[in-house]
Amino acid sequence: MAEALLTARGLTRRFGGLVAVRDVDLDVREGEILGLIGPNGAGKSTLFKLIAGILRPTSGTVTFAGRALAGERTAAVCRAGIASTHQIVRPFRNLSVRDNVLIGAYFGRRPRPPHERARQIADEMLATCGLSERAQSPASTLTLAGLKRLEIARALATEPKLLLLDEVLAGLNPTETDATLDLVRGINARGTTIVMVEHNLRAVRGLCSRLVVLVEGRALVEGSPDGVLADPRVVEAYLGTAHA
Amino acid sequence: MRNRLLWSALALAVALALPLVAPHAEYLLDVAFLVLLYGAMATGWNVLGGFAGQVSFGHAAFLGIGAYTAALLVAQGWPIWATALPAGALAALYSLIIGWPSFRLRGPYFSIATIGIGEATRLVALNWTSLTGGASGLTLSSAPSPVVQYYAALALCCAAVGAAAWIQSSRFGFALAAIRSDTDAAETLGVDTTVAKTQALAISAFILGVSGCVYAMHYLFISPDSVFGFSTSISLVVMPIVGGLGTVLGPLLGAAIFTVLREQLEANFQNLDLLVFGVILCAIVLFEPGGLLGLTNGLRRRWLKRS
Repeated sequence: MAEALLTARGLTRRFGGLVAVRDVDLDVREGEILGLIGPNGAGKSTLFKLIAGILRPTSGTVTFAGRALAGERTAAVCRAGIASTHQIVRPFRNLSVRDNVLIGAYFGRRPRPPHERARQIADEMLATCGLSERAQSPASTLTLAGLKRLEIARALATEPKLLLLDEVLAGLNPTETDATLDLVRGINARGTTIVMVEHNLRAVRGLCSRLVVLVEGRALVEGSPDGVLADPRVVEAYLGTAHA
Repeated sequence: MRNRLLWSALALAVALALPLVAPHAEYLLDVAFLVLLYGAMATGWNVLGGFAGQVSFGHAAFLGIGAYTAALLVAQGWPIWATALPAGALAALYSLIIGWPSFRLRGPYFSIATIGIGEATRLVALNWTSLTGGASGLTLSSAPSPVVQYYAALALCCAAVGAAAWIQSSRFGFALAAIRSDTDAAETLGVDTTVAKTQALAISAFILGVSGCVYAMHYLFISPDSVFGFSTSISLVVMPIVGGLGTVLGPLLGAAIFTVLREQLEANFQNLDLLVFGVILCAIVLFEPGGLLGLTNGLRRRWLKRS
């Protein structure tokens, strides 16, 4: 078994009386594509935000490549090697597509790369994500599919060891979905570990090496995609007891 | 790029030669001085308000601290030029103290907090009579000649615009542009947004502080209501917006229009200036958010397309 790149233990986050994430243990292995699935409101995005440092955990620890991360600021987590995309795209609308990616290349890691190197990284990531032709356009002129790819390109420009993808397929048509799946596969093939939150179960089944199902804030089931999706507890969580 | 360098050199040559060409045109020199001083102040405000998008309605605080520092040091026997650096440094130091709590607030909430900071600072200056002389203000005994004042303002303005140009083209400027657009997204890409905002505020406050020194050198009398006044803070917001928010030369352009217009209005229609500025501000925000630079760039593009 490959070594765990990221380990979360007893991760809990409360919002007042609501416990969004409850005592979650999670191991992300080096080189895998781990799918995080579960019904709406299960706490998937909250778990992502806890790992990315956008939210602080109420309790629990996150260890990444041997370093304790829980409680670190978002920028520090990014520079430690965890990049994330936003579920609802958040481009820098007044900057060009290329400058959006340059921000990631300039600031995403320490030591900061020199200008030439940063530009080179940005151009590579634009090419990887199929955005080279739109490099000089303002980010506000991209379609939703383009903006989703821009989110990925920006995150990749920080040269992460671990990439968190939050519903990058949502809102895409079948052609765009297939292109994005190929993109994610390509990124993983080049050595980046990926954790993705996704509702598209067909895509998840084809892409992920392992799944974790989150239900009401708890990690309910974990295992290979086929095994997990056939598990009666998972079917029940998605469809109700009548189908289980 | 070479074109821009050429134009800058030309403008600088004209500015340097102005006192020699027009040695007796005191009024012209006075207006030019004010344009340069207000241009520097607006450029300083724009580093935080334009580049980083953190709109402050309290920047008079930094001008006032600079002006009072200069006046108090001159009273201790310092030559006025030597007070420029301490004036800027003290303003920057003060900005660090107030930046730390106020940057926990975002967007409009930050702006509202700056109103409070500006007014609180004015009230302290007004009531700390033993240090500031309270409402009766401070008076400097002697002023440098108008030509020396003019060159001081020119040096200040060039330094401020130069700093702004450098920031805009630097990695730091990139961070500020990202913060202006989406602070949270910038943070997830590794930008230390609080640090970058604090740095922008300190640079901004430093420029305002040095401007305070030049202000004191010119007016010779400073009081809480003049340098710390809310209307000063407001004009610091108006000038960059009129000229072009977040651009290098927009604030200077806005300052030129603001100063010349105010001189004319004060001479001919007293108390009408606020109304006129209000109308101009509304028109720009509604029709051309890029300011006058945005307007001229748009016209030039249209003209180029036609020809």
